[in-house]
Amino acid sequence: MKRAQIDMQLAALLGILAVVPIVDSVLPTALQVTPLMPPVLIFALVGLGLSVATGFTGLLHLGVAAFVAIGAYTFAIVTCSIYPFQIPWLCAVLLAGLVGMATGALLALPTMRLRGDYLAIVTLGFGEIVQDVLRNLDAITKGTQGINPLGGPTIVSFQAPLSTATRWYYLVLFILALVAFLMQRLLQSPTGRSWLALRDDELAASCMGVNPARTKLATFAVSAGLCAVAGALLASFLGSSGEPSNYDFQVSIMALSMVIVGGLGSIPGAILGAIIMVGINSIVLAKLADWLSNVSTGSSNVLLSPSNWKYMIFGLALVLMMRFKSEGLMPPRQSGGK
Amino acid sequence: MTVTSNAAPLLALRNVTVQFGGLTAAHDVTLDVTDGQIAAVIGPNGAGKTTVFNCVTGIYAPSSGTIEVRGRDIREPLTWLVLGKSLGIGCIFGLALMLGVNAQILWDASINQLYVYEQQFDWAAAGAAFVSTLRSQDSSLTWGIFIFGSLLAAAGSFTMWQRTRHTPYTAVHRKIARTFQNIRLFRSMSALENVLMGMQSVHRSHVVPALLRTKHFAQQERIRREEARELLDFVGLSDVEHTLASALPYGSQRRLEIARALASKPNLILLDEPAAGMNPSEMAALTALIAKIRDRGTTVLLIEHHMKLVMGISDHITVLEYGEKIAEGPPDAVKQDPKVIAAYLGDTHNDH
Repeated sequence: MKRAQIDMQLAALLGILAVVPIVDSVLPTALQVTPLMPPVLIFALVGLGLSVATGFTGLLHLGVAAFVAIGAYTFAIVTCSIYPFQIPWLCAVLLAGLVGMATGALLALPTMRLRGDYLAIVTLGFGEIVQDVLRNLDAITKGTQGINPLGGPTIVSFQAPLSTATRWYYLVLFILALVAFLMQRLLQSPTGRSWLALRDDELAASCMGVNPARTKLATFAVSAGLCAVAGALLASFLGSSGEPSNYDFQVSIMALSMVIVGGLGSIPGAILGAIIMVGINSIVLAKLADWLSNVSTGSSNVLLSPSNWKYMIFGLALVLMMRFKSEGLMPPRQSGGK
Repeated sequence: MTVTSNAAPLLALRNVTVQFGGLTAAHDVTLDVTDGQIAAVIGPNGAGKTTVFNCVTGIYAPSSGTIEVRGRDIREPLTWLVLGKSLGIGCIFGLALMLGVNAQILWDASINQLYVYEQQFDWAAAGAAFVSTLRSQDSSLTWGIFIFGSLLAAAGSFTMWQRTRHTPYTAVHRKIARTFQNIRLFRSMSALENVLMGMQSVHRSHVVPALLRTKHFAQQERIRREEARELLDFVGLSDVEHTLASALPYGSQRRLEIARALASKPNLILLDEPAAGMNPSEMAALTALIAKIRDRGTTVLLIEHHMKLVMGISDHITVLEYGEKIAEGPPDAVKQDPKVIAAYLGDTHNDH
């Protein structure tokens, strides 16, 4: 009964997202959001990845940006024309996911006995290490230049009635919906239950036959795999792997804020959180900046540049959430209804 | 039910000692649990009862002594497969480390120097360049790193295995389940889901069928739910299957823990103070339940402070004091034992 309610939330959220480009087409250009939306949805995928480790299994993970970077760079290396591989788009995205899973498992190996704060520090350190490695392995990663140009999938580039932006939008939305759907199913299987059990009580879970080390390894791998797929999509959308410092600690923190605002451990929550947090950053503030630059001319007050507001808004959002609705906007089943 | 060999007891502790630093929590405890019994461990607070339980379920490792289940060491046996796995992990790690250390040079030689933009790439030449560059490297950077990495990872994974030879999740595969003194239910799950979690060790479930929701998976899940409902019914909780575990009243939480432990189809169930905090009528129901569990074919080993309950249903009682066994035998004999009266019953003559 409550589970059906959660499914409804997810379906409603995805339904609303599906009609955004249609609504958009009747709005004036200044208010259209479709071209800005794909990165937001890609971040929702990162949020889902983080949910696996932090939301479901209760492992505080502060290094998801590293896996986004690994995904982006893997995708870039195997598709970019400066290297001989140039494999098809879909294979590259899947390969990025696999490489992400492998590195996620690698990170989990030394951290299997850690929990809480200690694990957070280790994952944070891992995030920094990955950035440094990408910067210094310049024979492969081109250092701070990033790898470009990168292409999109054929489905986005061929001529069709829909604009490229709209096709990107639906492609990412489809992937997001697919992942959310599969995750929902996994949560209702013994595997997913063992993740939740590990979060509730590690000792009791292991007395039920759950191997905590193996389960943590699996959740880290799945989490990293999803983040890496998101990284590959992002690189493909932006046409460049970007530079290593694009995947810094702030990205990990933003992902964490997203899942906290949406509701830790909730699938629709992670998506909603991403739309709110990243949406404010890359859509609302960007539109506001356009508008302000039209209205006021020549003023150099820093407060008139809305992109400077973003961390203030993030901070404020977190403080307000913790104070008034600490379980998040769309809390998972256990905290709702009681 | 289970095939019982009369030769070996279901559970046998042989001279088990547990030390935490200088503190000896259990000293030289020898204990047999026979099939089909209700056995009890009693003793004053701090006598080491829960320590013994924790040893059996792999939460602590005994400092000395052995624990046997039907005559076999409770720890996972050391097999060639374990050694092979450790070596395999070692080799993979060593190889990865070696390639990682030489990544830049290898990439430069085999890709950057050979690939001409938008020209056909000669993979054979790249492979040859890769191998020759690797060969021309200083051997300390290739073989040295490989051997170092392999040894490190092999030793690491073997140590890891050794530490997990006897853990709660291996104990449950030896058909030993337990409940906890301070209730440890999965708070965010419903009563039914808690019992489903208890089945984790019996039903192997794979991820892919779960994602595709195959017919077989759906059927398995239905069977699991059916079994879980039967167990809830068995402990008298059939009306609350969808209630969150944390929202249940205290007595029901204790019974839910028992249902969850039974879900792993154990041969032996350890109950750690199942009657703690219960009122007399709840306790009477619990006594009946414990007898029912035994009649079902599950041997029971319990820790309990309520003398009435223990003396009423136990077939065999072991008395611990300061980590040592001071008496054992049937309830009537234990009741008469002067050592026991002095240590335990003597203090609580005006019963509670």
